[in-house]
Amino acid sequence: MAYRVMIVDDSPSMRAFVRRVMDLSGFEVDTCLNAGNGAQGLALLQQAAVDIILTDINMPEMNGEEFLRRLEEHDRYRSIPVVVISTDATENRMQRMMQLGAKGYISKPFSPEALREELERVLGVSNA
Amino acid sequence: MPDMAVAESLAAAAADVLETMFFSTVIGEAPVSATPPADAVAARLRFSGARSGVFTLRVTEGAAQVIAANFLAEETSEPTKPQVEEVVCELANMMCGSVLSRLDRGAHFDLGAPAVADAAEIAVAGAVSRAFDIGDGEVAIFLSMDEEP
Repeated sequence: MAYRVMIVDDSPSMRAFVRRVMDLSGFEVDTCLNAGNGAQGLALLQQAAVDIILTDINMPEMNGEEFLRRLEEHDRYRSIPVVVISTDATENRMQRMMQLGAKGYISKPFSPEALREELERVLGVSNA
Repeated sequence: MPDMAVAESLAAAAADVLETMFFSTVIGEAPVSATPPADAVAARLRFSGARSGVFTLRVTEGAAQVIAANFLAEETSEPTKPQVEEVVCELANMMCGSVLSRLDRGAHFDLGAPAVADAAEIAVAGAVSRAFDIGDGEVAIFLSMDEEP
């Protein structure tokens, strides 16, 4: 099954890298939307549906924490699983993002296999 | 925190980030030069939280080009200077996060936005530093912790 994905990160090179790593990992992507911050992500969600969102934390205008809060407030968006991709691997940060509604968390650096495993875990994809 | 523990974390984080995300291998250690090559690319970011300070990354031009090309998967053309600088900032961000997480996984840190810095003006005095040969050039990293109150 191919998934509709949104990548939210203020770095265009990081967005391209994440997309490439998804392809390398064998995770099938149907469409991939790109947003430079949470506000752009919310705007894109009004135009197109996605199956999963991958978001950075530190972004200008609307950071990852505020983005998660806004998604949780919205009836239509609350059910979209969000995976946080961050340089911060501390337990405090992970717990905080999960409390805000994230369903997954992967810290950089990450391998293609690690990214795929986390995406499939969050999506409830069985490898059996 | 002992400088040796910090230096070991710098080395481990550099090797892990470079190999996993930038497809570059650390060949060995290199001496940290106080006077960098004029064409080196540097990025710096502040961090705060359990500890505060500044993390600085300095990459020789050749190494920066290869790292950027690897990260961007540029096979047909050389990355532009803005692309190289963006990738070096991204590398600094990842290394800093990796180092701080290794130093104290249970702590809370906030990372500032990385910005391009003047390689010639990087203050190395007082910083814990390590430099590495990655074949196409050198990567040097500097971690300065603020004095605890």
